[in-house]
Amino acid sequence: MYGWIWRHLPGNAWVKALLSLLLVLMVVYVLFQYVFPWAEPLLPFNDVTVDGQ
Amino acid sequence: MAATTEEDEQERTEESAPKPAPRQRGRGRIAMAVSVFGELLITAGLVLGLFVVYSLWWTNVIADREAKKQGNRVRDHWEAKGPGALNTKDGIGFLHVPSMSGGEILVTKGTNTKTLNHGVAGYYTDPIKSALPQDEKGNFTLAAHRDGHGAKFHKIDKIDEGDPIVFESRDKWYVYKVYKTLPETSKYNVRVLDPVPKESGAKHADRYITLTTCTPVFTSKYRYVVWGKLERVEKVDNERTPPPELD
Repeated sequence: MYGWIWRHLPGNAWVKALLSLLLVLMVVYVLFQYVFPWAEPLLPFNDVTVDGQ
Repeated sequence: MAATTEEDEQERTEESAPKPAPRQRGRGRIAMAVSVFGELLITAGLVLGLFVVYSLWWTNVIADREAKKQGNRVRDHWEAKGPGALNTKDGIGFLHVPSMSGGEILVTKGTNTKTLNHGVAGYYTDPIKSALPQDEKGNFTLAAHRDGHGAKFHKIDKIDEGDPIVFESRDKWYVYKVYKTLPETSKYNVRVLDPVPKESGAKHADRYITLTTCTPVFTSKYRYVVWGKLERVEKVDNERTPPPELD
């Protein structure tokens, strides 16, 4: 999988490394901005109130 | 002997020589599947690790920033003294708990997730409506995050009986004294929010404060509750000199 991505990135090793880094940052951004905020309320880690339900 | 060495030699050269592509297709496919599976597992591990970073660090960064902004707006309203002074949309005041340290905690209305994620303590509107500090009698009930999103009540376990809790409003300091802590209770135990919280040993209507958050740390299995009772109210002077409890 990662090997496949590496092979399909253009340029020499340095360009590839830079592009990989950008891809990683993009993935982290999407996770932090959209995926984790969505997933968090579904997980039982942060309910702090007492309620009847 | 000589024959075998020769054979070995031959095999070795054959092995080390780059083969054009005589890979066995079946084995190659399985190896590929295993390696993709392995990479997926590694990815899953990294994502989980990132989630921990997100919940324990990043949400604090975001929440603290938001709380600071909102808190500044509240103080600006207070200073303006104009019609905006009674605007409580951004918050009704600040909570100071020296034994928990960490500075002031903005208090806003409501305890839904969105509100609390702003790094504030919310006063309950549901299931039992909170009283406000200025009310003659009642229980001022608050909730805040234990971890992440500001983690304002992270050190709630450092609060002991006898410790002060101070609520700062525009023109009053409300000084409460903790008289009872409950380190573990069910999340369904809404009676802790009662105007007279009997579980704390309270018998008469008075001016109480109740802090709730989740416990143990990093999970939401139970609730941690701290009760205090109003000791005195001080007027805020021009310099907003804090009461001696906060020194």
